[in-house]
Amino acid sequence: MEDRISRIIIVGGGSAGWLSAGVIAAEHRIDSQAQQPFELVLIESPDVPTIGVGEGTWPSMRTTLKRIGLSETDFIRESDASFKQGTCFRNWQSGSGKGDDDSYSHPFTVPIGYADSNLVPHWLALTDAPQFADAVTPQTALFADCLAPKQITTPEYAFMVNYGYHLDAGKFAELLRKHCTEKLGVRHVKANVLQINAAENGDIKSVTTDCAGEIAGDLFIDCTGTSSLLLGEHFKIPFQSRQQYLFNDTALAAQVPYTEENQAIQSCTHSTAQTAGWIWDIGLPTRRGTGHVYSSAHISEDEATAQLLTYIKDIAGDRAAASVVPRKIRFQPGHRREFWHRNCVAIGMSSGFIEPLEASALVLVELAAGMIAEQLPPTRAAMDIVAKRYNQKFLRHWNQIIEFLKLHYVLSARDDSPYWQDNRAATSIPEKLGEQLLLWRYRSPWHQDAEAVDDLFPSASYQYILYGMGFKTVPRHTGSYQQDQQQRQAVELFQKNAARAAQLQQALPGNRELLNKVREFGFQKL
Amino acid sequence: MNQYEVLNKDKHRQLRVKTGYGAALGDAVMHVMTYPMEFRDIQSCYPILFTKDSNTGGFFAAAVFGFESDQNLFLQDDGWDAPYIPALVQRQPFLIATGGEGDNADPKVSLDLDHPRVSQDEGEALFDTEGNATEFLDQKIALLDKLHRGLQHGSGFVDTLLRHELLEKITLDIAFNDGSKQSLQGYYCIAEERLYQLHGDVLESLNKAGYLQPVFMAVASLSRMRDIIERRNRLRV
Repeated sequence: MEDRISRIIIVGGGSAGWLSAGVIAAEHRIDSQAQQPFELVLIESPDVPTIGVGEGTWPSMRTTLKRIGLSETDFIRESDASFKQGTCFRNWQSGSGKGDDDSYSHPFTVPIGYADSNLVPHWLALTDAPQFADAVTPQTALFADCLAPKQITTPEYAFMVNYGYHLDAGKFAELLRKHCTEKLGVRHVKANVLQINAAENGDIKSVTTDCAGEIAGDLFIDCTGTSSLLLGEHFKIPFQSRQQYLFNDTALAAQVPYTEENQAIQSCTHSTAQTAGWIWDIGLPTRRGTGHVYSSAHISEDEATAQLLTYIKDIAGDRAAASVVPRKIRFQPGHRREFWHRNCVAIGMSSGFIEPLEASALVLVELAAGMIAEQLPPTRAAMDIVAKRYNQKFLRHWNQIIEFLKLHYVLSARDDSPYWQDNRAATSIPEKLGEQLLLWRYRSPWHQDAEAVDDLFPSASYQYILYGMGFKTVPRHTGSYQQDQQQRQAVELFQKNAARAAQLQQALPGNRELLNKVREFGFQKL
Repeated sequence: MNQYEVLNKDKHRQLRVKTGYGAALGDAVMHVMTYPMEFRDIQSCYPILFTKDSNTGGFFAAAVFGFESDQNLFLQDDGWDAPYIPALVQRQPFLIATGGEGDNADPKVSLDLDHPRVSQDEGEALFDTEGNATEFLDQKIALLDKLHRGLQHGSGFVDTLLRHELLEKITLDIAFNDGSKQSLQGYYCIAEERLYQLHGDVLESLNKAGYLQPVFMAVASLSRMRDIIERRNRLRV
């Protein structure tokens, strides 16, 4: 066959490049010499530092790591990883500064009975109801005491409550590199790409490098970060800004030490709203990662820095605040018009980036690599069809991310700055989200709201944000024939959830305690 | 809590150890650890399953006595109803301490002063009036010695099983005659299908390490499950 795909070139290392390499190589077992279906080469510049954004993952990362054959014990030890069970939002509703009243969570566990029962109407009918998430999942009960999602006897990647990770992106990429080159048969070329060479038909034929000559390939994966060397610069696929919906375009990142050696490690990402953005706070075993992501049109860098330092002073004291040097990262919120063009597909920041709220960056890499690995066309002729479907799917993903992230802002009642007011302006709300918000006034989000089976955010996520933020859905008055039975079932589920929460609080160790045990003993594989 | 001390003929001259078996003597346990050299004796009386240490998550082999925490179906009013009693039960309240590095690495006979078998006035004496070990203590020391060798021999057993993927999870849902149901969770057994697919070189290495026979003993021991179900059925509820 003339046009068989026999060589795939990934340009760019970092977590996007190495994760893609790992997923594709593992799926096709390119390490087995006998029947190697294609060669996989990753070209990494020795000069370009990785940006290292995206220290939070989704639970999908457990599946991805398992898929590429990494042991969870090695992953945790070498990526300085901890367990993440969701996000806790503070000061998003009123910004009154009283964090306890103005706080809600988006846990990774879906509501109890979620497959069959929508608990929202029953929760709305409760008098003296606990917070929505507390009523429907035992997970949020673990957050206060910084408890782990599993025990040391739980096998690797299995859980008692669903979890993803917080990790050190630099160390993670390093671990993936080692695994990909030593175990999975990925060829690593350290060189700078100088030039991209076109074939007669308009495809990319090869790339010319400074110290490894010309490298030809049949499929090129662009993981070059925001520079988007292949898709953006070579193919001139336009960038589509989405800043009219999501204003944040700057981040100030700072590492903060723990105040004492054995300080508890948070179970979830903390997201604390500010006057023109929000501050993330994630706990790794060795340090905390914090950062202020904000809209540069709404606040000066000095003021944004001052807010970050106030936060750091609050969690780690004056000395920590005095010694941090925040690193500034500018980004344009948006994505390329197309992601797969001819024989080139962009993964990671080369395809686009929206602010870190809900940590969607790495999950998009996992999804992209997964789809390419599963649907990799064996020939060039079939590639255009896969590309077309890929573009449709990922445009849908980007749209949903933008709508779901925007949901966090439009529901806020904060009136303390133009940023929050502008966020509620009708022109800043994506059309579909506007429609959904109208519908949800009369009924809660439920399975039928899903556009496709692989939607990134299920209706459960919308429920957690809407009712966490105090959204009002008018209870439906006309009851169905099964109403009484459903009501009884709901009461049982609420009770079952409370019992499960109490049981888990007893059984689960603290995050730090479990991470220390993983370091000492490791998880078993079964 | 446990209070371990290295056995000392001056300090512990007056101590006595209660013999016999019973819940009051600390024998009401659901399972006890065993080791490959003991499997032949264990499998004639008890199922051998694998379970995890709650502190480290590491696997160990266990002789199983019941279906729930603290349930030992072999304990009767007049003692332990089985022809063979596991060494890790017989050795109570003694143990071998191997703490320390270098010169201190020698195994030392120790005991748990807080164990219900330890007494000032009841049971077998450990030392005679001159401070010599009694026959009772000599027997216990011989047992500990055998146990120590058995544990050393078996120290690589579980890792070997895991390396060859010879363990698998077993969940037993049992309905008893009285209508009650019990689900036995957290146990693992030999993965028989994998075992029967092992190649010659692996079988040879297992055999050389002295692990092949114990693997089959563990497989055979599952027949003893029937016996403990029967014992559970005979319990007055």
